[in-house]
Amino acid sequence: MLSRRDFLKLVVKGAMLGNFYQLISPPLAQAVAAGEVNKLPVVMIETGTCTGDSISLDNIWTPTFSDILSNIVDWRYDWSMMQAHGDAAYQVLQETYDKMPNEFILIVQGAMIQRDGGHYNHVAYDGAKLITGLELVRRFGLKAKYVVAIGSCAAYGGPVSGYPNPSQATGVQNILPERRVINISGCPAHPDWIMGTLLHLALYGEPELEKYGRPKLFYGETVHNRCPRRHDYDQGIFATEIGQKECLFRVGCKGPVTYADCPIRRWNDRFNWPIGCNTPCIGCTEPGYPDLMSPFSAHSPDIPFPGGTKVTTDKIGLGVLEITSVAIVGHAAISLYKGRIQKNLLKSSVKSRHRPSVKKVKTCHQYRLKKPCNEE
Amino acid sequence: MKRYTRLRQPTIKQLKKGNVRGQFIPFQPILVRVFHWGFALSLTVILLTGLELHHPANFLALNFGKVLMAHIVFSWFGLGFVAIRIADAIVRRDDSLIPKIDDLKTFPKLIAYYIFLRSSPPPSRKYNSGQVFIYFSWILLFLVASLLGLTSYWQGKHLIGVWRLVGGFQVLRWIKFTISIYFLATIPLHLYLLLTEDLSHLQAMITGYERKPPPN
Repeated sequence: MLSRRDFLKLVVKGAMLGNFYQLISPPLAQAVAAGEVNKLPVVMIETGTCTGDSISLDNIWTPTFSDILSNIVDWRYDWSMMQAHGDAAYQVLQETYDKMPNEFILIVQGAMIQRDGGHYNHVAYDGAKLITGLELVRRFGLKAKYVVAIGSCAAYGGPVSGYPNPSQATGVQNILPERRVINISGCPAHPDWIMGTLLHLALYGEPELEKYGRPKLFYGETVHNRCPRRHDYDQGIFATEIGQKECLFRVGCKGPVTYADCPIRRWNDRFNWPIGCNTPCIGCTEPGYPDLMSPFSAHSPDIPFPGGTKVTTDKIGLGVLEITSVAIVGHAAISLYKGRIQKNLLKSSVKSRHRPSVKKVKTCHQYRLKKPCNEE
Repeated sequence: MKRYTRLRQPTIKQLKKGNVRGQFIPFQPILVRVFHWGFALSLTVILLTGLELHHPANFLALNFGKVLMAHIVFSWFGLGFVAIRIADAIVRRDDSLIPKIDDLKTFPKLIAYYIFLRSSPPPSRKYNSGQVFIYFSWILLFLVASLLGLTSYWQGKHLIGVWRLVGGFQVLRWIKFTISIYFLATIPLHLYLLLTEDLSHLQAMITGYERKPPPN
């Protein structure tokens, strides 16, 4: 079986060559066949989501997603992928819960809808009772071996929790404070990030996580640090419009504040990635996305004001400076009119009882006071 | 008959003879002056480079690696000067920059003076209440901005607690921008009041001495 070090090497090598699964799946399939590794029982629950992460996961090319499902993992419940539906599907879910406690991996896709007890997001029928996503995720999360939140919605709330967040959506970690949730953020999450993390869990347990609970092997560096256009940034060569081939920092690229390995892994079977097609990174893997990252064409987030108005940070900054300038000029004008400036300057600058006047003495070219100091 | 006094003697001697109203008193110790000018220079560079890093100017073609380097280097210098000032304040037991309750009480009177409702400012300590609040906030915010700067400099490898507390890189960036706007709004105010209220403070920040006016 692969050692963990070899696995990590394959993660990076696979990112460079674009064949992560080709590299990882043969030894893994052998290990599964030899009984060294058990097939991972996986349950995927979708809550407040667009199912984008499932579509992203389905975009694995070699081997195909079906290869992974049949040879490497025991993908037990996933309403987008499974053929069974209704009670039959729910039975599988219930069976996993009852018979495999602390064995299965719970994958959550989508934000947790909290408003009104989660009743804006029903995910199953238990007999005649509607089960909310909130309830199901909590119930399964407490019994799962690992809890993995895929996509920005599940990890941090994502677009579903965007301002003004009417459904009070949030990330899985917030409703499962008892458990450590592994976040695989992204809108959507890259298939390599999802499968790589699952494989690491199967082979070596929990990967090393970074500050926001994401695996360091995929989210250890900023996009900016690995960007192929970094030399443009360092030299101050910037695109002035989206679509140009220089550094996109000035048009709002969030690469400097976004942790992901997109620059080396790229998307669609390593075909391209946003900056590769001259559009700025929108920071979809970061907490606070999309509110903190929008507008996508500006650095700083817009500030919401009561009434739904949003103002850009730069405008607020300029406004403050304008107000200060106007206040200073206005105060100076009034002070001059009232004579305060003149009075203050005289008070602080005239130091003598009488101004000493000088007269040039021609003979020795020395200056002397016309009036001695002590003469009153 | 006119008598002439030679001006070749040091001016200070003449002034001591009683030609000056009031007296010269030591007002700003050397370390305070070193801090002031060093911090002013550092802050100027930090603000200018920070604004350039935030929003590259169209009319400047600067090497961003060097701009970032200058930003970081002068931030360290700024921190050094703040450390000198804090150490000096501790050694001399100088609490002139720490706001007190009395400052809060005199602050409305000071504002009344600035908006022309009073003819003279209220009596104060070494610095008036407005100065104390602004100077204290500058040091505090500079330390906060430095902490955030270090957090972003280490990119989540250290100071992870700060990172989590703040809520991410983008929020951190926004806070630093807000702090820089605060500095940019209050520094012109400082310069304006310095030049129009009492020039002897500027003199004291250069020579160390301030002329204390005679009691009326």
